[in-house]
Amino acid sequence: MGKLSKATAIGAVLWVLCLALPAFLSSAWVSIAAIFAIYAIVALSQDVVLGRAGMYDMGHAVYFGIGAYATGILNVEFGWPILATLPVAIVAAAIVGAVFAAPIIRLRGDYLLVATIGLNAIFVLAMQNNLAGITGGSDGIPGLGVPSLFGLQIESQNGLFWFDWVFLGLVLLLMRNLDRCELGRALHYLKQDELASGTLGVDARKTKIIAFALGAALAGLAGTLFAVQISTVSPSSFVFTESVTLFAIVIVGGQGSISGVLLGTVLMFVVPQIFRGFADYRYFVFGIAMVAVMVLRPQGLWPRARLRAKAGARVSAGAGVSR
Amino acid sequence: MSALLELAGIGISFGGLRAVDDLNFSVGEGQVVALIGPNGAGKTTVFNMITGVYKPGNGKILWRGKDITGLAPHRIARLGIMRTFQTIRLFSGMSVFENVRAGCHLRTRQQWWQGLASTPAQRREEAQIADRTSDILKRLDLDAVADEVAVSLPYGVQRRVELARTLIADPGLMILDEPAAGLNDKESETLNQTIFGIRDSGITVLLVEHDMNVVMNVADNIVVINFGRKIAEGDAGAIRNDPQVIEAYLGREDEDEEVAA
Amino acid sequence: MGTFIQQVINGLTVGSIYALIALGYTMVYGVMRLINFAHGDLCILGAFVGLTMLSGAIGGGHPGPALVFLAFVASIVVISGAGIALELIAYRPLRKADKLAAVVSALGASMLIENGIMLVWGPEVQVFPAGLLPATTWHFAGASISFVEVVIVLASVVLMAALYLFVNHTRFGTAIRAAAIDQDAARLMGINVNRVIGSVFIIGPALGAVGGLFIGLYYREAYFTMGWTYGLYAFIAAILGGIGNIPGAMIGGLLLGLFNAFAAGYISSSWQDAITFALLIGILLVRPSGILGERVAEKV
Repeated sequence: MGKLSKATAIGAVLWVLCLALPAFLSSAWVSIAAIFAIYAIVALSQDVVLGRAGMYDMGHAVYFGIGAYATGILNVEFGWPILATLPVAIVAAAIVGAVFAAPIIRLRGDYLLVATIGLNAIFVLAMQNNLAGITGGSDGIPGLGVPSLFGLQIESQNGLFWFDWVFLGLVLLLMRNLDRCELGRALHYLKQDELASGTLGVDARKTKIIAFALGAALAGLAGTLFAVQISTVSPSSFVFTESVTLFAIVIVGGQGSISGVLLGTVLMFVVPQIFRGFADYRYFVFGIAMVAVMVLRPQGLWPRARLRAKAGARVSAGAGVSR
Repeated sequence: MSALLELAGIGISFGGLRAVDDLNFSVGEGQVVALIGPNGAGKTTVFNMITGVYKPGNGKILWRGKDITGLAPHRIARLGIMRTFQTIRLFSGMSVFENVRAGCHLRTRQQWWQGLASTPAQRREEAQIADRTSDILKRLDLDAVADEVAVSLPYGVQRRVELARTLIADPGLMILDEPAAGLNDKESETLNQTIFGIRDSGITVLLVEHDMNVVMNVADNIVVINFGRKIAEGDAGAIRNDPQVIEAYLGREDEDEEVAA
Repeated sequence: MGTFIQQVINGLTVGSIYALIALGYTMVYGVMRLINFAHGDLCILGAFVGLTMLSGAIGGGHPGPALVFLAFVASIVVISGAGIALELIAYRPLRKADKLAAVVSALGASMLIENGIMLVWGPEVQVFPAGLLPATTWHFAGASISFVEVVIVLASVVLMAALYLFVNHTRFGTAIRAAAIDQDAARLMGINVNRVIGSVFIIGPALGAVGGLFIGLYYREAYFTMGWTYGLYAFIAAILGGIGNIPGAMIGGLLLGLFNAFAAGYISSSWQDAITFALLIGILLVRPSGILGERVAEKV
């Protein structure tokens, strides 16, 4: 317990220090730091499903997108204030997550992965084809407003940065709590050995649906933040490649590891921004880096504490079920 | 006498193979019942049917008189039926403490949102779970290895960890699938003491075991099956002298193979 | 009636290509339980290698068909080599690691090849030269079939038949099937599993290179993101037939080609992909082991 609290304390201090970033960064970098917070939330939400519950979800951008579209549609077409759209975005994403998950979570491993790829493709096509006439087709929905808090408009990039980072702080707290409660542990049991979990009384179906809905809800929250940050919502932000990046962030960073996922987000999201000028080579190098990291550190760059201690000894956790 | 667990004519087939056929026996409250039979007789299959891993093709399984046939494993567990596995199934990458704590799952009252919000009630429960886990670890002499990765420990210790994980749930019935398999004599002796302890604490036990010493010493009732059918039932004395049993089972020396496997 | 026959022809042509590419996915999955996400990109790399051969030599005024044949040979050689390199570098070190590490490695390799193609050949659509093959077209019953379509269907059938015979009626084919069922047992039986895996990474990409070049010749164009699109379709075909199942991949490819042709012809082309994916999810839910796959019971 003492050790974990220490990690929490270090995290809290770092988070507070990061809040001061706008004082030191140019506005372009402040916006990158703001978007980092948003992607970190989505990546952490992907980790709930993939890293913690062990469900191969390669369509997570869908829930990110649902949050963004909920905010975009309600704000632009129905004139709702941004903050009022936030709970709708979270709930809508959670419901869609649970509804999608209900039939497909019984699929194992690769089959689930393929099904979620399919869901992602269908989602993007539906948005592109201007579903129900409210998603705006390929161009999406431009011209979102800004959030206002107690009559105060959060307009500046610095304001949005703090807005996003406060939510990141909350999500980090939530993830910490998840590590210390029965739900978090039950996900871990299921990931490692579904059969043994069942005989201990873990309701696999219910637990997995909760995990999926929770992951989707957090992604939906990030979707709202994202829509506000770039003030437009379009299908291209939620394509399969985005899901692949989220998937890779978790595996490259370290499954179930908060610090790992944050590090992964920095590497897969912030670092490419630095090399913007070399856009052509960016994804080529990106591909090489993904292969290299996996070959050299299959357990991820910053794995969960226990795995770190036993690195290499028994990384192939949970192999028992499908053999 | 109403039985705690009753198997009424259960059977199952895999492909063309009739693995278990028309099997009847019951386990009374506080009893230790041993299910024995040669390799491949269908013992583990019976356990898998009781614990919901397989759905019986026919017949009924009754728990305290209620039909529980074909329920999902987690619902069977919720009734208080806990099991161990012939091939130990501990969570790899988790410590002994974490593995044993997993057995508390059904005893936790916290809702998922309480955990996420880390409410005071939830934190209190976490502390209780930790205490309870430590108690069981002490009781089974595992406190010294509490922080070790469970699957890296010797086989005998792993068996005890699995037993502890089952025991911590305070089960109404413990189903032990060859708890002594793969253990050396010393480990197996320690394990026997543990099983005696469980029996003495009043927990009903159903076990599959090849070690006749264990079976003859602890079992109140012994059920012998071969080719999926019951061939004898009775106490140690009756089973020892049953000609069919001697022919089918005790006459063959397959215990060494079993241990090697 | 004419439209119907025309859709059948289109479907069979595209389906044959899907099948050729699907075989690579299914063979790798069968032996290694790994979705080789880079396979589609390898196939399209094959189209680009072929294209370079064709457009480089066409200035020399060589006759079409012989040149096309050479382009296939070059493409097969290069892509098989790339397949072996892929396995050695990106997959072999991860055989005993967490499965997801290999998945991400495969995704990285896919990204690397796709963007490598873009760096070498550019981001624009590359057009295949005209007049390589006879422009003959046969008309009947209101439908038409071109020389290229006949070549694609016939060549695919011949290649698939050869593969089927190889896998089912040779010693090495038996070794492949054995390794697919149980690698450890196969190793104990004296089968060199590394050689089997190596061979799968030669045969799959070689067939894929042919498929990729067929795409180029059929549509007369190639672009760097094509690997993803066609790879995904071929992969769906593999699942449709039961992933890991070789005849299944062939049948799955043809069925998906026909399904797509009819979906595009009779329903709506903008929803065509969505329908295909919905079909995919439906099949996964109803019969995850595919049309020809066997249900595998879990051992406890």
